[in-house]
Amino acid sequence: MTTRFDVVHRTEYTYGLPMSDGYTVAHLLPRDTPTQRVVSAEIQVSPDPDEYEEHTDLFGNRVVRIGVHRPHGHLGVTGRCVVEVEPPARPEHVPAAGTSWDEVARQLVTAQGEIATTIGPFVAATAATPSIPELAVVTDDLFVPGRDLLDVVRALSSRIHAEFVFDPEFSDVSTPIAAVCAARRGVCQDFAHLMIACLRSHGLAARYVSGYLETFPPPGQPKLTGSDASHAWCSVWVPDLGWLDADPTNDQVPPQRHITVAWGRDYFDVTPVRGVVIGPAASQSLSVGVDVSGREIDAEP
Amino acid sequence: MFSENHYAPQRGRYDEAVAEDGTMRPAWSTLGATLRDLRPIDLLDQQRQTDRLLDAEGAGHLVHELPPDGTADAGVRAADSRPWRLDPIPMVIDHDEFRSLSHGVAQRVRLMEALLHDLYGERRLVSTGIVPASVLFSVGSLRTTMATHAPPRWVVNLAVDLVRTADGTWRVVQDLVDAPAGAGYALMNRSVVARVMPDAIRRAGAAPVNSFVAVMRRALAAQSPPGRRSPRTVVLTGGPTHGTYVEHSYLAMQMGYHLAEGGDLVVRKNRVWLRVLDGVEPVDVIYRRIEDAALDPLDARTVGGSGVPGITWAAQSGGVVLANAFGTRLAEERVLAPYLDAAARSLLGESLELRALADDEILASAPCLSSWTPGAVVPGTVVLRMHAAVTPDGITTMEGGVGRVLAPGDHPARPTAQLVKDVWVVGGVSATRLPARVAHPQVDFGGSVPKRVADALYWLGRSAERAEVAARTTRVIGSQLQQEPSLLSVGGGGWAAGAIALLRTAQALPVAVDGGPEDGPGALPFAERLQQELRGGQQAVAAQIASLAQEATTVREFLSTTTGRLLGRLTRVRSDLLAAESAPDDLDVVLVDLAALAGLSMESTVRGPAWRFLDLARRLERAIAVLGSIQAAAGPAVEQFAFQPLAESLLQVNESLVAYRRRYRSDVELGAVLDLLVHDDANPRSLAFQLDRLREHVASLAWQEGADLVHQASLGMLTHVDDTVAGGRRLGVDAMVLAARGPLLELGNAVVRRWFADPVNPMVMGSS
Repeated sequence: MTTRFDVVHRTEYTYGLPMSDGYTVAHLLPRDTPTQRVVSAEIQVSPDPDEYEEHTDLFGNRVVRIGVHRPHGHLGVTGRCVVEVEPPARPEHVPAAGTSWDEVARQLVTAQGEIATTIGPFVAATAATPSIPELAVVTDDLFVPGRDLLDVVRALSSRIHAEFVFDPEFSDVSTPIAAVCAARRGVCQDFAHLMIACLRSHGLAARYVSGYLETFPPPGQPKLTGSDASHAWCSVWVPDLGWLDADPTNDQVPPQRHITVAWGRDYFDVTPVRGVVIGPAASQSLSVGVDVSGREIDAEP
Repeated sequence: MFSENHYAPQRGRYDEAVAEDGTMRPAWSTLGATLRDLRPIDLLDQQRQTDRLLDAEGAGHLVHELPPDGTADAGVRAADSRPWRLDPIPMVIDHDEFRSLSHGVAQRVRLMEALLHDLYGERRLVSTGIVPASVLFSVGSLRTTMATHAPPRWVVNLAVDLVRTADGTWRVVQDLVDAPAGAGYALMNRSVVARVMPDAIRRAGAAPVNSFVAVMRRALAAQSPPGRRSPRTVVLTGGPTHGTYVEHSYLAMQMGYHLAEGGDLVVRKNRVWLRVLDGVEPVDVIYRRIEDAALDPLDARTVGGSGVPGITWAAQSGGVVLANAFGTRLAEERVLAPYLDAAARSLLGESLELRALADDEILASAPCLSSWTPGAVVPGTVVLRMHAAVTPDGITTMEGGVGRVLAPGDHPARPTAQLVKDVWVVGGVSATRLPARVAHPQVDFGGSVPKRVADALYWLGRSAERAEVAARTTRVIGSQLQQEPSLLSVGGGGWAAGAIALLRTAQALPVAVDGGPEDGPGALPFAERLQQELRGGQQAVAAQIASLAQEATTVREFLSTTTGRLLGRLTRVRSDLLAAESAPDDLDVVLVDLAALAGLSMESTVRGPAWRFLDLARRLERAIAVLGSIQAAAGPAVEQFAFQPLAESLLQVNESLVAYRRRYRSDVELGAVLDLLVHDDANPRSLAFQLDRLREHVASLAWQEGADLVHQASLGMLTHVDDTVAGGRRLGVDAMVLAARGPLLELGNAVVRRWFADPVNPMVMGSS
């Protein structure tokens, strides 16, 4: 059964004094993937923007640039989309890569042509996914030469899930993964960055996926509006199969209840909403709410 | 001194001046002959002269240093007043040799252009395995947004650091592609050297460097987006805290472009606009001197909130051209250096003419003025920075540059010696002297300046006037007291109380009814309180000079070189004022310099809006000061004995005593004093005179609110001053002062509100 998701992602800034100019970059419009079809997607801006432009970025994501050039005391950016996702993959159906991780790494080092230009960028360590000694706490004993790539990926995901505590209070977008390794806690972005860093430091190609995850309230309680959140996981490149997702936060193979929006080398390539304002020195407050609701539908007509 | 006895080159290494057989190389022969006649003491004298001239260009106190390297992180940093020195011995290079270097530099311009075009475009270097994707995409300075929005041209200007090795061959130390610094320093250094040794430079036949200004103008004009008539170019700087700010300011002045700070520009609808006094005006080309990493806070990998939000969007949509383009920092990344030679073969089908310096290579030497032994000439290592620009006629190299001397142990990319050399290219027939024609005319800015400039000039004017009031009042009271100590007891302390009130008013401090400080009136005897206020007056002068210099630093290009020199001197006097208990001579210097400054602002400034705000500020401050001094000295109803000397103080602090004596030839009378200081519109120190000038300024700005306030002040000025005395005060004087001063203080607020209040500081919002 295909699942149809309705997603609303609200970001609301409120300023202590009116701002004269506001600039926002949003990665809120989802893209089609082999397992996902975008039925509709739009961004609503309040107040009405003076500029609204969409383009496709280097990684094929949809980016929107928004400008407001008159005094405004608040700025609301709301992404709404309807997305159909194929039935979730069952673990036993996820095949083995059929190739060892070290063989894949060797192929990537010498890759030329399209593989070099399209897959190569995701082998590169970035500032958010550095190759650092602290990664050993996660990778120790995992990368045995000759081990099947997907076996390594599954083990890595399980280990991060088992040994790290999900703790929204611990980190923010600027927390380095060295600190995450030391404290063994973090949020989905941190775990995605961590897993990507481990894979890249072994010469593998991994990308950061930004999106949503439908959540369910505890049994017997109503679902609260805005209780969902943006989510992030990673994707690893497997020769012949392509990109396979792994969600270390939940130790799952997406898509389970996952909706993909965008991907890049790390969070900073695909920050959902990023903004700068010009105005008087004043307080600012940010509120974010995400609602995801899914229902199963018949396969495409 | 250039004989074998004096300058001893290092054995076994190539020396710029002296050949292996001990003879002078041909390129150096003319200069060598000149230098041979100079004694160490003459060289020291020349060095002192260059120091002084550099100082006048603002390179001394207002400026920091030549940046240690071109990296972005070194760019923005706190102002550091370490000046660099200019070695009076230039670096001389033979024309033919320089031409081959220029050829190599031009090749690097083509390589950098092709490299950026490929790495942000097709990435053939990646798909053919020449540059690994994992290296390219790990570089933080790869601006991914540029991969989908390639500019028409990446590299408009380039600098290359070169050094000669011990075997005589030149090697590349680094390419500077992001926001190459140094061309302005080369021009500045040459202007100094040309004044210190004009004959030597002519005899040696050094190629001129200032034609590079026209080259850069042509290069920038050619970048204008299509269809723009009369394109406007600005130089974008990080402001006075940027490591190479002096150069930005100097270049803007030489090129005739506005120097814009981030806050002067705003992006709307993919165009860049310059904030001017009455709105915004479009900008077409930006010669950017802010590094990639600090250019646009909207770019996800920008550090902090500096720069202009959206400027890269505007460039990417073709609304404005950045020279060099955003993203060019990538080309100077060290991790890419190992691939440059292969990239040149692949992209240009050529081998690199100039090879990279290897770590273990021994470097050649050149004669340098010793930093240790005064006047001695010793072998040193010089890194040559060359500059090239891309014009419609091709790639043009500056025939000169800056030579930076290495301290022992320095890496050639990061000299620390703070000693630089002018670079003379000799032996050619100056073929590159270009006519100063520019393809597109620059818009005449007569009428418009950045709002920030008017703002800074306004506060400069107010600080200058406040400094003058404080200096004159302190000087006048101090000297009266010195000449006639008995004044202290005159009229039961009436003079002393009035003098204290004058001094406190001049420092903008509150005045108690009896003229003493607000806290604990009468706590100290008059003599001590007066001394205390005299010291305070001197400190107030120092404080106002500091704000004056601070404002001046941000608008350097609107002030003449002479003004720069005056500011330098005022800044030095300021330290004396802070250090000394009493410094009447220094106060005299301050008064003379401030008078010169005021004169320059009247005589050597184009009377555009910028000048208007400077003068408006002076007039406003002076009007307020005249009224303050009248209230302080004529407000208290003192005995006639005390009134005489007090009225003389009042006239003197307003520079009107001589005028009074000539006109009235009598004892000082209140009515006559007020007439001269308030109503006499022929006295340039009177309130009426200031109000006339203010009226002209607000009329020229077509500013109704300002006109209304000046009118109200004029009505206040006409308040009848009667003889009523109550509580020891002349009520008529107080009433007139209040009626005239209120609208003037409000005018001060209104100027800021109406003309300067735009907040311009970008703030990065939290991300979800």
